Amino acid sequence: MSRIAAGEREALRQLYDATSAKLFGVCLRILSDREESEDVLQDVYVTIWRRADRFDGARASVMTWVSTIARNRAIDRLRARGPMAYAEQVDDLEIADGSVGAEALLEAADDSNRLQGCLSELDDRTEKVIRTAFFEGVTYEALARRMDAPLGTVKSWIRRGLAKLKGCLES
Amino acid sequence: MSEAPDLSEAEALAAEHALGVLNARERAAAETRMATDPAFAADVEAWRNRLAPMLDSVASAPPSPELWRRIERLLPANDNGALMNRLKFWRNSAMGGFALAAASLAAVVVQVNQPPVTIEKQVPVSPQGQLLSASVVSQDSRVQPLFVAAYDPDRKSLIVTSLLPEGSERDKVHELWLIAGQDKPKSLGLVESGKAKVIALPTELLAKMADGAALAVSLEPPGGSKSPDGPSGPVIGVGKLSKL
Repeated sequence: MSRIAAGEREALRQLYDATSAKLFGVCLRILSDREESEDVLQDVYVTIWRRADRFDGARASVMTWVSTIARNRAIDRLRARGPMAYAEQVDDLEIADGSVGAEALLEAADDSNRLQGCLSELDDRTEKVIRTAFFEGVTYEALARRMDAPLGTVKSWIRRGLAKLKGCLES
Repeated sequence: MSEAPDLSEAEALAAEHALGVLNARERAAAETRMATDPAFAADVEAWRNRLAPMLDSVASAPPSPELWRRIERLLPANDNGALMNRLKFWRNSAMGGFALAAASLAAVVVQVNQPPVTIEKQVPVSPQGQLLSASVVSQDSRVQPLFVAAYDPDRKSLIVTSLLPEGSERDKVHELWLIAGQDKPKSLGLVESGKAKVIALPTELLAKMADGAALAVSLEPPGGSKSPDGPSGPVIGVGKLSKL
C-alpha cells in the first residue's frame, strides 16, 4: 500500500489482480448490474490510488479497507438512482443470500465467522434490518416505510442491535 | 445474548453512519464531523471494520478484462511525493530548514493526545454537492494529521482545524495553501494552532476545490509568506482533497 501511495502503478496493478474479483462481487451484490458495477469498480481503484496514503495497517487489513471503499461507493451509486430504488414493498426485505452457506462459513476468516455468529445471535428481525441496511444503504426513513413501523422504533431496534453486536464481538 | 450497554450518542451515530442508515443531510453532517473530530472519525472507522466482514460472504466475480486499461487511463500522474517536490520548487528560502522543522513538529504532534477543538454548532449541509476532506500530514510522520479540513460546497467554505497544541510555535504562523492543477499555490490564509476556522472561499477558487487538489501548510513569519508566488517558509505537511 505504501508503494501505491508513492505513485507506483505496478503496485496498484498487483492489488487489482489480487482483489478485483472480490470487489466486483461486492459491487454486483449491491447493484445487481454489471455495467454500473464496472463503473463503480473503476472509481474504487482510482480512489485507492489517491487515498493509499491514508491506509493504516494497524487499524484494518488491506482487504477490509478496500472492500469498505467498494461497498461505500456502490451504495453511493445505488442512492444516486433516486428514491425509486427504495420503493420496494415489505416482502422484498428478504435477503436472498442473507444466511451464509456452510461451505462459505468454513472458508471465511475468523473475524467473519465471529461477525456472522454475533449477527445470528440477534433476533431475526434485527439481523435482517442490519443486513439490509448494510447491503443497500437504506435509510431509517425508508426502512420504517418498508416495514410499516414508526421511525423511532426502527431506530431503537438498530441501535440496540448494534450495541449487542459490539458486546458480542468484544466478548 | 445478554443485554449490552447502550452505545454513547456519538458512537451510535458513528455506527449508524458506518452502517448506512442516515439520510443525506445527516450523512453530510457526519462526514463534516469526521473531518473535524478525530475521535468520531476513529469510531466510524472502527465500525466500518466491525461490519466489513459481512462482505466476506459475497461471491467473487471477475470484471471484464478491459477494465484495468480503463482504470489505468484515469490514474492521475501526481502523488504526494510529486506535490512535495513542486512545493519545494516554489519555495524561495533555503531548503535546509525543512527536515528539521518537520522533525520537530512531528515531536510536538506526538504529544497531542486529545482533539483540541470541537465545533459546537452542527453545520447544516445540504445533500447536494461534493463534500471533500483532507488530512494534512507531515511527510516524516504520517501517523497523525497536523491539520484536518472539510470543504462544504454549499456554504462555499472550508473548515480547517489545527491539531497542533495551542501556542506551539512562537514568532511563526501557519499558512494554508491550495494546490490545484499546475497553478501556483494559492494562499487560503493563516490558521492558528489548536483552533478551527471557517474560510469563505472566493468564487474563482470554488472550481478548483476538486477531488485530487491538495492543501499544504507552511511555517511563515508573522503576517504570512513573503513571496507572492507561494510559501516562503518550510512546508510542514500536505494532504490531498478527496471525497469522503
